[in-house]
Formats: sequence, C-alpha cells, structure tokens
Amino acid sequence: MNMRRSVLVLLLFLLFILEGTILPWLIPDVWQMRIIPNLVFVVLLFVAVYHHRHTALILGLTFGLLHDVVFYGRILGAHSFAMGLSAYLIGLLFQIPRAPLPLMMTVILLGSLLEDSVLFGIYSVFNLNQEPYSWAILNHMLPTMLFHFAIALILYIPLRRQLELIKKEKSTEEAA
Amino acid sequence: MSWPENFLRDTTGFVQKMFYKPAGYVAGLFEDIGNLKDLSKENEQLKILAAQYARDKAQYNFIQVENEQLKEQLKFTKAQEELYKYQYHIAQVVSQTTEPSNSTIVIDLGAKDGVRPNMSVISVDGLVGVISQVSNFTSTVKLMTMMDTNDPNSQPPIAATAINKEGKTFGMIESYDPKTNKLLMNKIPPGDPIAPKDVIVSSGIGGLYPRGLTIGTVESVEVGEFGLTSTAVIKPSAEFQDWKQLIVVFTEERAE
Repeated sequence: MNMRRSVLVLLLFLLFILEGTILPWLIPDVWQMRIIPNLVFVVLLFVAVYHHRHTALILGLTFGLLHDVVFYGRILGAHSFAMGLSAYLIGLLFQIPRAPLPLMMTVILLGSLLEDSVLFGIYSVFNLNQEPYSWAILNHMLPTMLFHFAIALILYIPLRRQLELIKKEKSTEEAA
Repeated sequence: MSWPENFLRDTTGFVQKMFYKPAGYVAGLFEDIGNLKDLSKENEQLKILAAQYARDKAQYNFIQVENEQLKEQLKFTKAQEELYKYQYHIAQVVSQTTEPSNSTIVIDLGAKDGVRPNMSVISVDGLVGVISQVSNFTSTVKLMTMMDTNDPNSQPPIAATAINKEGKTFGMIESYDPKTNKLLMNKIPPGDPIAPKDVIVSSGIGGLYPRGLTIGTVESVEVGEFGLTSTAVIKPSAEFQDWKQLIVVFTEERAE
C-alpha cells in the first residue's frame, strides 16, 4: 500500500549515493569545490511544495543525518538541521499543490540559497569559517543554485507525476 | 563510534563502493584518451627519473646498511628502531563530498584492517589528509583543506621541514586558506633559510605524522602574525579531487 512512498525514499537514497560517487567525476575539476551537489535537497523541495512540509521535514532530518554520519565533517547534525529546517520553511511559504513550473524553479533557487546560507550560518556561529558571506555567495552558493536549477528542470516531470500518484494513493486510502 | 553509526556508515559505504569505482574507470578512460599526446614527453621524464633513482638506490643501500650497524652498536631500543618503519596500505576511495569548509572522503579500509584515527593518508603526489573517524569497514579522511586553527576538532598541525634543508628549516603547517587554496606554514624562526620553490615535507617531529611525506612547494615567505616569526605560503602538491586510490601510512603503535 505504501509502495509509492518507499519508491520515494529509495529514490532519495539513490540520489544520495549518486551525489557522493558519480557526480564528482562528472563535474569539471575547476568547478568541483564550487558546485556542491545536493540532489536529495532538490527532491525534498519538490516534496515540500507538492506534497507536505512535514514529510519534507522528516525526510530532510533523516537524509541530512545520513550525510553527516557518512561524511563525518566538522560537526554532526549540521546538514540534518539545515536540510530539515529549510525544507520545512519552504513548505510553509510555498506549499501549493498546483504550483506551475516557473514558480517551482523560483522555489528551487530560493531553497538552495536558503540551505547553503543556513549551513554557512551554523559554521559561522561555531567559528569554523573565516570567509565573509559575500565571498561564499559568489564562490559556491550561486554556482550551486544554478546547478540545482538544471537538475530540477530534468527531474520536474517524473517527480511531479510520482508525487501526484502518492497523493492519489493517499486519498484512495482515506476514502476506503 | 557507536553501533548505529558503524552500521549506517558501513552499509552506505558498501553501496557507494559499487558506484564510485566504475564511474572512476569510465571517467579515467576519457582522461587517458585526452592525455595520449603527452605520453612520450612523460615517458622521457620518467626515464630520467628512473636512472636517477637507480643511482640513488645504490647509494641508499650502503647508507642503510651502515645506519643499521650504527644503530646496533649504539644499542637502540626496539621502539627506537621501528620508529621510522612505515607500512603503506592501498585504499580505494568510496565516496567524497566537496563542500568548501567541510570536505571529507570515505575510504574502504576500517578498524578491521587496523586503521586508527590520526593516521596519515597520501596520494602519489603527497599528503592528502588524516583519518578522522573509523568504523568497522570504512573510514573518513579529513582533507588538508579542513586544517583550521580555530577548529578544536581540526587535524593537529604538521611539523615540517624543507628537502635538502632538513636540519635547518622548521615550521608548523597549521591552516588552509580556502580563498587562495594554499596552506600556511607558521612559526618559522628568524634566520631560517627557507625560500620559494623549496619542497616541504613532514619532519616526523612530534610523532603523529610520519616523516618524509611530501606536502607542497613554497610560493612565498612573509612576515608572520606577530612580526617575530615568518609564515610561508605553500602550494599543496596533492590535488584535492578525483582520487581512485589513496595510501594509508600505518605507523607502529606506540604508547603516548
């Protein structure tokens, strides 16, 4: 009965694997430190807009934590917090099940910037980066935003169809 | 590390391994085709290097034998004798993340293979980073790009010296500047002969880092923070991207 939903979770896991293994080979060397692919988060934004912000929050917390534990950076939980919070906030503002493509793309740009800024904020609070915000925006946030934009364009049609199917499944479950 | 973390890391690492290596091969194939025209030039350089190596090897063998005899005569303890005997183990990279202030890679050697935190990880070019977390079958390598004096969890500073100036040059490599992509070597005493184009290697003082690991080349030497010591800007010799294999340097375990 929860077929579609497990497909979504599996897709997220697959994307998580791809962003750590295959994408570093595809992105040109010069851009590697500047484009930080976060495919999971792109899908989460879709979930937040077309499905529900609570689902996006839970998924954001879980997959953020997975990223934190697998890559074990400076502090545990930074990605978990950033992804969960920004997916939830985006859902709070833009949860529009019938949102058209241009609006969704704007959401992707905003959400990507928000997530990177939250991460930047966390590291700044703990005195872990010395660079100014303006440098960070130009160095990696803008390229990442554009990269996520392109990924979202590719994923738009299949993802929206999946999410609509999940919704339909849910409503038939409730009707039954 | 707790068991849920261990489990999560090892299972994810297993899946990632199946993706990373084939992707690397495909990317490597295209790279090889691109490099085809540089091959003859590279071959020539390697031949010169090999000849040089053969000469040095003969010399080295004499010195080594002599050194061992001297150690025996001076009655070195076992710990002292094994201080500089390192084992090099090849590790496959499993996945990587390239965030500017938070970049780590995962390799497929873990606690079961004898990896311990703070072991050095090198590529063929030079020092890449330090093992920061170890689970049963995978471990996380903190890249040199994460060196930061403000971070209490950062890898410890590296005591370094320059090739051909081993007894005379000293400095501590303490931080990495993400804006310029250079390492900073601080605490160089006044009157130090360090100069641009010197090759910087770890000196092994302090015991944590093995000695003789290539770190980078000096780009410029400036007056340091407080005006008493100098700071050298170092271009790292390892590139922090697209690895296939790395080498973990196993040191003798020793009571601290």
